Amino acid sequence: MPQNANLSDVITLISDIKHGKVFSSYEIALRTENLLEKVISEEKWANAKELMQQIKGKIQQVTQSLPLETTATNIMRHILKVIREECDQVSKKKGEGQSLHQLVTADQSEERDYSESHGDLKNCLLDHLTEYKVELETSTENIAAQALEHIHTKEIILTVGKSNTVEKFLKHAAGQRSFQVIVVEAGPLYHGHKMAASLALSGIQTTVIPDSGVFAMMSRVNKVIIGTHSVMADGGLRAASGVHGVALAAKHYSVPVMVLAHMYKLTPSYVCSHEKDTFKMCASPANIIPYSTGPLLNKINVYNPIFDYVPPELVTLFISHQGGNAPSYVYRLLSELYHPDDYELY
Amino acid sequence: MSVKTKEVLKDDIVQAVVVADTFGDEFLPISSDIPLALFPLINKPLIDYTLEFLSFGGIEETFLFCCSHTEAIKSHINQGIKDGAEWSLTMKVNVIVSESCHSFGDCLRDLDRKGILRGSFVLLEPGTLSNIKLLPIIRKHNEIANKDKGAAMTLIFQESGIGQMGRDPNEEAVVAVNSSNRILFHRKMGQSRERKIEFPLEIFLDNSSVSLHHNLKDTHIAICSPSVLPLFSDNFDFQTKDDFVKGLLMNEEILGSTVYCHITKGNNYGGAVTDWRMYQAVSRELQNKWIYPLQPSVLRNNIQKNGVIVGKGVHIKDNKKIINSVIGDNVHIGENVQIRDSFIFSNTKINDGVIVTHSVIGPNCEIKSKTKITVGSIIGKGVTLEKEHLIEDTLVQATEPENCDPKDKLDKKAFRLKVTGTEDDLGKILSKKLSRLHIEDNRPEESDDDAFSDSEDEELSYTQSPVPDDTKLFFTEVIDSLTRGFEDELRCEHLILEINSSRYAYNVTVREVNFNVIKAILHMSLRLSTGPQYFSQFVRLLSYFAPVLKNYIRNDDAMLDTLQAVEDVAISNENVNEKWVMFVLKWFYDKDYISEDVILEWSKTLDAKSRFYAQVKPFTDWLEEAEEASSSDED
Repeated sequence: MPQNANLSDVITLISDIKHGKVFSSYEIALRTENLLEKVISEEKWANAKELMQQIKGKIQQVTQSLPLETTATNIMRHILKVIREECDQVSKKKGEGQSLHQLVTADQSEERDYSESHGDLKNCLLDHLTEYKVELETSTENIAAQALEHIHTKEIILTVGKSNTVEKFLKHAAGQRSFQVIVVEAGPLYHGHKMAASLALSGIQTTVIPDSGVFAMMSRVNKVIIGTHSVMADGGLRAASGVHGVALAAKHYSVPVMVLAHMYKLTPSYVCSHEKDTFKMCASPANIIPYSTGPLLNKINVYNPIFDYVPPELVTLFISHQGGNAPSYVYRLLSELYHPDDYELY
Repeated sequence: MSVKTKEVLKDDIVQAVVVADTFGDEFLPISSDIPLALFPLINKPLIDYTLEFLSFGGIEETFLFCCSHTEAIKSHINQGIKDGAEWSLTMKVNVIVSESCHSFGDCLRDLDRKGILRGSFVLLEPGTLSNIKLLPIIRKHNEIANKDKGAAMTLIFQESGIGQMGRDPNEEAVVAVNSSNRILFHRKMGQSRERKIEFPLEIFLDNSSVSLHHNLKDTHIAICSPSVLPLFSDNFDFQTKDDFVKGLLMNEEILGSTVYCHITKGNNYGGAVTDWRMYQAVSRELQNKWIYPLQPSVLRNNIQKNGVIVGKGVHIKDNKKIINSVIGDNVHIGENVQIRDSFIFSNTKINDGVIVTHSVIGPNCEIKSKTKITVGSIIGKGVTLEKEHLIEDTLVQATEPENCDPKDKLDKKAFRLKVTGTEDDLGKILSKKLSRLHIEDNRPEESDDDAFSDSEDEELSYTQSPVPDDTKLFFTEVIDSLTRGFEDELRCEHLILEINSSRYAYNVTVREVNFNVIKAILHMSLRLSTGPQYFSQFVRLLSYFAPVLKNYIRNDDAMLDTLQAVEDVAISNENVNEKWVMFVLKWFYDKDYISEDVILEWSKTLDAKSRFYAQVKPFTDWLEEAEEASSSDED
């Protein structure tokens, strides 16, 4: 194992994420892509296998230090698949060619070990990465561009907390349609306030409601549009706490729930698998009940979970830059994004 | 904001100093085998949390100062770096070993000599855990330091409610700050339990706004300017950070340094393991995520119901009666064992039917059947209890202590450890008790109050509040001076000079000086050999100090002080000769130190039922008679 391989780049990424220097998933995605570009162009590797080992080492490092960070690992995982594909392509070009027989048997019987070296693999990969970078950079706009298909005039849209993607999406639609947005303030962090201020600034009619008012307001809402932390393999969401309640209320009133998700949010793991403890992550209760409350705190336990799991049946549609997909289709997207061998790397 | 952060980083690497030793005996007997830094806190060494906090707070270089068990700490740190522990990724950790240091102050003086710290740095007292983001506070400190060149230190406090577990009852603090958060008055109440606090009037006269805080707990974290280390070197009597703050505030003009404070709110937590009670409080707060994102490892620990956390390789036969406890790695627990609010360290074996409540059991112990360990007992490393025992409020260690009482031998490898410290020092023992684990969460408050009123009754003599420490020190100093003076036959003028200079050193009032000097002289009289010559010796002593007495007993107030000193000495020494009081009073009266009126007036304030009054009564009667006689003579 390339344990002693150079991990300093990942470490700085991890520490930056931890210290909150890079905050949004989009920034993390770009940082990760840069990091991989550097690895491919500057690190020493003789063949695809070695390169993949290096990247796997980095994925492990990230999952160990930041079990909740999925963006960085998903991007690295995707690049692993890209390396495999490029390798296959390059070897095809070389004229080694795969016979029909090989194509049929390859997947089941023997695994390719990718240890042969190719001179132009590096360039191919770098080209691919540049393409991928453009994809990342335009992803938000591509999602926002679909706004007009989903938001119609005089509709009432409900969203929860703050999400950059949702913000762009709504603002894009506001250019041509006039509609109303209800923002749930999403305690205990109350990011919804910021979201509402930003939306109001760009001329959208915005109302902030407390979390407790969601059910009462839901009957009037036409659509729920939310962002998410990550999309699990079954199409369920790992989203900020409070979203589950909103999704249930939407189900009750048969209001469609749309989730804006970049491709890198798709995570090839299930809830309650090995991650069960990290999913139960709780933040400091100080935001709910201040530390200065006094002796009462000696007698009570306060839980402040960060995430909610929203089961796939409560989600109507995922909107990525490629278009809309139903939750049941997530498994298919996953197999397009990642190689099955890379799903679990621990 | 990120740009600014980079500026700070570019200027100088952000450094931190962690002192790893407590230098106290709070954690005996376990601390004699394991350093505090490696105490398991929910099955992870304490120091790992501290380092994780520092790296999370944005510190890039840490100096870990250790004075005992250095090898263990060093190898732990090196192992951590080798295994790629989280903190090691973004932070450099240097272990500094200096076994000659005996206090927190010594460590800083040593650091000053080494000259390795460049800019402002973060100073952590032993056992600190926190999740405070340090960089913004360091930046703020630097801004203050730019404006106020004397700014030496920013103390970080956390808002917390009275009676909260995480608030150490031994460290109750009162702080007065002005509008720019400069500390004007800082007082750790500690055990003194004064009900009244006097604030110097100047702080209100000199500042347009003063806020008084009693809603704070010390996080034991401080941001220090580079000037802190030389200040420690210049003032070699600064032993702790509290000494430093106190000294700086008292001599603000002379040292030209100021102290600021920063009060954190919201989800910032800071606290330190300073004694067993805090150990319990911090581990419970850690468990309840107050220190998020610092948290016990989810992979290593198994969280069970009833607030029980269990390490790796633990065998528990039945866990019905285990509540609110932390159990270390490879612990074996037999059938029908009760464990409540306790901590069991790793590799310990507890056999069937043992009851453990509110106690700590160290590593590698073996507790045989049906032993009961309760009420804040601490069992040291490697203790084996063979027979049935009832261990209550005791420290037990495996090796035989010096001059061990045979009664204290519990077993071949179990010895009772006496709480050291002078026996009459009630406050100290009380504080020891307080520092053990909570007996019951809501009860300590009441029992505390009872205990304190008891101690007050015993200590109460002259004033309505216990004697503050400084006055006590002054008293011992005076006794020392006088004894030496008497033995070496020094001249009394010199003694007066000496007493006056100690008076300024300890900042005691004139009346306290009178009281204490007389008390000291009378105390010396008690040391004289009893026998037929006692009173003649006593007279010699008093006559020798006549100039001293003359100097201090100048007016009616001083006379009253003298009388109260007599009263104090007589009451606090039961075995004093019955005629002693009479003799002393008569002597003072005969030599004209005390006037008749004052004595009579004073005697009226005495409790008529007390034994002391009975001793005074014949004298006052005699005085009254004499007065009547003289007045009748005049007639």
